[in-house]
Formats: sequence, structure tokens, C-alpha cells
Amino acid sequence: MKLDLFNTTAFRLSAGYTLLITLAVAATLVSAYLLTERLIDDELDLIIDTELKSLEEKYARAGVAGVTDEINLRIESWGRIGGVYMIADANFERIAGNLTSWPFDGMPGEPWPQFDITTIEPGRRAVHPVRAAVRSLPGGDLLLVGTDISQGRRFAEKFRLATLWGIGLSALVAALAGYWFSYRLARRVDEVTRTCQRIIAGDLGSRLPVAGADDEFDSLAASVNRVLDRLEDQAGTLRATFDSTAHDLRAPLHRLRTRMDALLLRAPPLEPAVHESIESALREVDQLQRTLATLLQIALAESGAPLAAPAAVDVGELAAELVELYEPVAGAQGVQLACESEAQARVQGNRQLLAQLLTNLIENGLKYVPAGGRIDVAVRRRAGSVQLIVSDDGPGIAAEDRARATQPFARFGPGKQGGSGLGLSLVAAIARLHRGRLELESNEPGLKVVVELPC
Amino acid sequence: MLLIEDDTEAARFLVKGLRESGYTVDHAADGREGLFRATEGQFDLVVTDRMLPHIDGLAIIELMRRKGLTTPVLVLSALGSVDDRVKGLKAGGDDYLTKPFAFAELLARIEALLRRRSSAPQVTRLKVEDLELDLLARRVTRAGREIELTARELKLLEFLMRRAGQVVTRTMLLEGVWDLHFDPQSNLIDVHISRLRQAIDRGSDHPLIHTVRGSGYVLRSDP
Repeated sequence: MKLDLFNTTAFRLSAGYTLLITLAVAATLVSAYLLTERLIDDELDLIIDTELKSLEEKYARAGVAGVTDEINLRIESWGRIGGVYMIADANFERIAGNLTSWPFDGMPGEPWPQFDITTIEPGRRAVHPVRAAVRSLPGGDLLLVGTDISQGRRFAEKFRLATLWGIGLSALVAALAGYWFSYRLARRVDEVTRTCQRIIAGDLGSRLPVAGADDEFDSLAASVNRVLDRLEDQAGTLRATFDSTAHDLRAPLHRLRTRMDALLLRAPPLEPAVHESIESALREVDQLQRTLATLLQIALAESGAPLAAPAAVDVGELAAELVELYEPVAGAQGVQLACESEAQARVQGNRQLLAQLLTNLIENGLKYVPAGGRIDVAVRRRAGSVQLIVSDDGPGIAAEDRARATQPFARFGPGKQGGSGLGLSLVAAIARLHRGRLELESNEPGLKVVVELPC
Repeated sequence: MLLIEDDTEAARFLVKGLRESGYTVDHAADGREGLFRATEGQFDLVVTDRMLPHIDGLAIIELMRRKGLTTPVLVLSALGSVDDRVKGLKAGGDDYLTKPFAFAELLARIEALLRRRSSAPQVTRLKVEDLELDLLARRVTRAGREIELTARELKLLEFLMRRAGQVVTRTMLLEGVWDLHFDPQSNLIDVHISRLRQAIDRGSDHPLIHTVRGSGYVLRSDP
């Protein structure tokens, strides 16, 4: 499985945080920008306002001539840099000032109108933006005071650029940091997922990686590893118990069998009746041994021990071979046994166990299907799995009994003879060992067993 | 032959039975003694238990093989799972028998292992009396008359003919012809043998396939 970073919680979280950080930085910088721009304008307006007031006072005291003198004085000597002055008559004709003509079309409609002036500076012509205010003097003349705001404009321009860069850079840094954090986080979670999958697949020896950072991941990994240690221990103990049980029960069975065998081989032959009963006792011993072997096999499969050395098994071929093996027996019982398998239906597994699974299903069918009936074995390829279906038209299993049919020693129906009662539980155990599923359905009428084995 | 078995009572019966069947048997009661005797290399066959005190049966086989000894080894085991069988054969064992087993089964396996040593495997034509099997053409004739057989029947016949005169048990047939290493229903093989018998021996006053009571089957000319 490839690490799909974009589909992780960590990634979504960092993406969210990146967006949040970018928005916060943008809000801060934009409001700082707007505030500064406003502050500059207010400052200029105050200066213009103050000058207008002093010129109005001059007009009140000395009339147009006084103002004209004052304006010329300010322009030529001590006027501030960038100052723009003009006094005009009611027809907007220039009386005095450093503007050549009235810059507006009549009276400006707004309190702080702006216009551009062209100045001739040494070697070049330059256009400067000007912010100004106009007052009507009591005599009908007009007074204009303004200020060159190109410097402020340039400052604002730089500020705007800095703001945009700031927003862009902080978004980039936040995104990179977020990507890095979410990548690291996702990788650690991914490692955990992978390890868990290995363990599920049967590698009980796998452990979660501990990074040594002593963080919550490490403590989680350590806890999970302790759980796994215990599981592995238990599986080992279970396995050892199986082995010793197998050995301890089989050894005496073996001695029993050998003794009985020796009796049969004795030099003066036994009476036929005694011989016969010893032979029948031997059959019982063999049945006992088979039941024991089956039980141990089920227990082993249920212990979670992995399938040792799985290899590719062609289930279709195997089914065909087993049907061929059983066909004469079925024929002798008057049961029709048929196989229909798709080619290349391979799974990773153990041929002997899968053969045993099929054998149990076929033998089960032969046990219950009456003469004249039929058993069908089918193997189908599905996406990612192989489906093995054994269906018959026998008495089947009642719906309410199906769930417990795979439990050991479950028997139902009136007077069902023979069998260890372990057949279907072994089938279920082998299916589980192959990570497969077993389902019992009604074949209407009869039993339909579906085993789905992943490839 | 050498029998390495720590279960003294079982060993006593096995040794007795094998001697009565005409074999010369030495007995080793634990892994250490077994390894020592087995690597002396003067036996035609070693029969060893899987679980032994001191040295495991599989370890004995591995050490024997490392010393270049090709003596056939039959492994007896109380561990019946498929994995154990695979492990036994991988370690260099030639055959594997799960306890408890019928003495007749053991005898048949021993005989098969001893014969395998001497028989030349590179034959293209098998012949028992007037029954002939051409392995290349997959053709069977009895007294010159051609007999139609299915692929599986042919394999079954080949298995029997290669071991002509030897008792072959049902388990050996299941393993050798069907590659099934467990015990399904007991009369399965009987039905297949009787079909083969129908094809081979029908109309002949000289049957070749014989049933050996309590053991299995044998293909041979004399009754």
C-alpha cells in the first residue's frame, strides 16, 4: 500500500492550519497597511488644513495682496517641500501660486480632491500626484493648498508589496512546515498500519517501531508491542501444548496399535472371531487417531499460527483431481459428482490443507445425499479471490442450524450416522487459515457451501 | 537396518516384528546413540523417531546427509501436521510415517525404500509378465491387446508396476498417485483399484493385481 498523504488526518489538519495562519497574517498586514495609509493622509490633511487657516487669517487681515505675498514668500523661501499653493479669482483665473492654471474643472466636489502636476526638474519632467483642499474666500476668490503626495504613495506602494510578500511567504512557510509535520505523522501511522497488516497476515514476530522520541506514538507503540508479546507468548505456549498433547496421546495410541498388530501377526493364527474383533478394535483406534489429528489441526488453525510456507495452489485443478478421485465412490452410491472449474484459479496456500477442505466437503455430501442425488463442485475466479462452491441436493441444513454447523461435534437431523462431527469445523478452520470465508447457504433444496479464498 | 526409537515398548514390538519379517535390526534408544550408530554408515536403512532425547531425529538426518551418507531414512512421528511432514522431508528424510501406524504400513514402506535403492529409475518400458506399459507413448498392452486407460489409471498402474512384487498400501497410493498426505475415506482406493483390475485382468485367467489382506495391493505374476 502506497502512502496516500493527501488522504490523512494529519494532512487535512495541517492544510487547515496553513489556511488559518495565512488568513491571520493577511488580516494583520492588510489592516496595518490600511491604518498606515490612513495615518499618512490624516497627517497631510492636518498640515493642509493648518496652512489654509493661516492663509485665511492673512486674507482677513491683508486681503488678496497679503495672501499673494504670503504665498510667494512660502514658495520662494521657507515653504515646505512639495507644497502647492494657488489663489484664483471667482472665474478660476490664477492670481498667484506655483500652479500655472486651476487644476479642476470648476469647484471640486469632494473635500480632499487629488490631481496630478507636471514639474520640470533638472533634466526631466515628472508627474506628481497632489492632494489638496480648496476654500472660497469671502471676496469670492478661491484659495488652494495642496501637497505632493508622491513620497507617501511610494511608501504605500512599498508597504503594499511588503504586505503581499509577507502573506505569501508566511503561507509558504506554514504550508511547508505543515507538509513536513503531516508527512512525518502520516509516515509513523503508516508504519503502524503496515506492521499491523504483517501481524494479521500471520507474522506474529513483527513489532511496531519505537522512534525513541518518547512521545505519545512511542508509548502507544510500546503498549501495542507488549500486547503482541503476550499474544506471541500465548501462541507459542498453545503450539507447545498441541505438540506435547499430540505426542502424549499418540505415543500410547501407537503402543496400543503396535500390540494389537503384534497379536494379529502371532505365529499360531488366532481364532477367526478373535482376529475379527481385534481388527475392528484397530479400526476404532484409527478412527480415534483421525479425530485426534483433526482436533489438533483445528486447534492449531484457530491458534492464529500462520500458514507455514504457502505456495501457489491451483484450486480448480485440485478440485478436478479430487472429484475424479471420488467419482467412482459416488457412482457406486448412485450419486452424480461433477466438477466445473475455471482455469488459473490460484491461491496462496497449502495444497494438502486445501485438499482436505475439499475432501471433507465432498465426503460430507456423499454422507448425506441419497442415491439419485447429485453433488456439484465449482471453482470460480473472482476479483482478488477464488470461490469454491460445493452444492448438493441432499437434505441440507435447516437455516437455524447453519450457524452452529461449523462448531466441533455439531450434529443434527434425525439419526445422522458416522463421521467425527468435525468435518465442517475443519473446513472452517482451514478456510480461516487461508484468510478465507466459509458460508453455508440453502441450495433449495440441499446444502450449498461457499468458500471464498483471497488470492 | 537401524531403528532409533526412545519409546522402549513400541521399539520392542517393532524390532520383534521386523526380525520376524526377516530383517536384521539394531536398536538405538536415544538421539545421541542413534546419531553415533547411523553415521557409522553400515546400514541399508535408518528408521528414526522424530522426537528423541538429546538429539532430534531431523538433526540426525541432517548430520548424516552432511557427511555424504545417502542411506534412506524413514521418519516416524507423533506430530501429524502437514508442516511437520514437509520439514521431515526437507531435512533429507526419504519417507514419513505418522504414529500410530499399522505395522503392515511400516513394512511396505521399508520394503519400498530398500527396493528404491537398487532399482534403475531410467526406464521407458515396464513389463510384468504379458502386461506392458510404454512410458513414453503412454500405451498399455496385455498379451498384445491394447488397453484404454485414463491418465490417472495409467499413473496408478505405473506406480504398481514400478513396485511389482512389493506390497503397496492404500496410503502409499494416495501419496504417490494423488499427492494426498492424509487419510480420506478408506474404500476410495479400493474402487479405483477394482476399476484398474477390470481393465487389466478381465478375461485373463492369470490375474496380476492381488489384494493383500490387512495391507494393500501387490502387482505380481504368481498368485
